[in-house]
Amino acid sequence: MRLMWTTQILLAAVGLSAGAAVAGGLFAFIVELGVVADFADRTHTADKILFYESCVALGGILGNIFYVFRLDLPAGTWFLALYGILAGIFAGCWAMALAEILNVFPVFIRRSRVVRYLTAFVLSIALGKGLGACLFFFQGW
Amino acid sequence: MSFDTVTLYIKGNRDVEVTKDEVTLGDILTMECSDKRVIPKVKSLRILKIQKPGRQRYVISILEIIACIHKNCPGIEIQNLGETDIIVTCEDQKTPAKFWHIVKTAFVAAVTFFGAAFTIMAFNNDVDVTRLFSQIHELATGAESSGFTILEISYSVGLTVGILVFFNHFGKKKFTVDPTPMEIQMRLYENDIQTTLVENASRRGDEIDVDNADTSGSSRT
Repeated sequence: MRLMWTTQILLAAVGLSAGAAVAGGLFAFIVELGVVADFADRTHTADKILFYESCVALGGILGNIFYVFRLDLPAGTWFLALYGILAGIFAGCWAMALAEILNVFPVFIRRSRVVRYLTAFVLSIALGKGLGACLFFFQGW
Repeated sequence: MSFDTVTLYIKGNRDVEVTKDEVTLGDILTMECSDKRVIPKVKSLRILKIQKPGRQRYVISILEIIACIHKNCPGIEIQNLGETDIIVTCEDQKTPAKFWHIVKTAFVAAVTFFGAAFTIMAFNNDVDVTRLFSQIHELATGAESSGFTILEISYSVGLTVGILVFFNHFGKKKFTVDPTPMEIQMRLYENDIQTTLVENASRRGDEIDVDNADTSGSSRT
């Protein structure tokens, strides 16, 4: 009986540290890429940045609980559509912010010595990502 | 009036928002002078006249401002303690409609909430947390995991604590007096934007400077 309790305590310690480490790593990643700061700047709502931070925290906490405990969420198709669009916007901004942080565009633009028509590149990246996602889901990969 | 012996200290922020058509030095600078008669005179000097309506930006070099002061107060000594390039943003009305502000805030809040939820789910799915937990559970206890063990509970608690400690606040309540990571990121982002605006303007020759002095506001935006 005592052995069982020590095992449970050990497991609790493992889970607690794993959670804290994942939270630190993943959310540092979200913040340092500047996605939310970007949103706040685009919409001129920088005064609400603390509120957005709470939203990120709450989203992470609830999303994790629903995932880990496989909770039922009886919400229907409309909620799914909303969730898909909003999560898609976030993931898209995130992917581009990652490319931006890694200086992908300045390097390629400098190498290829093309300085004009940058909008065409931006458009083709967006279309490429969108079509790629469609292909991925359509093929069921 | 003679200004031979006085020194005027000026300090400007890097990013100034104005709502009037006529921008005076008092709108974009703070100043100090031992001769108190100088300050109102200099503050009322016009540096920029905005002709086009709507939202637009100008970048003004401090040299142009000094030249403007010297033109009106010859011989005065000027010490600049602030920025060397000042971005003047002209807005039509001071505050945009409050309703629109709330709509935008709600939209960003929804994106960040569902985005963060999606991100943590995607991460858990990617590294297959469920399987890893059942493996750890089996290793430690020897019994098969039910999928609802102390590991999952403590992981969720740990994740919650980690997020709150990392962001340093929940709601309005801050845990320490430091700014939160996102406030820092916001400032960094604004700094980057301001640097880019100034450098773009000076590279295109749009900056209002003494060499291409043009205070009438006809520069391209």
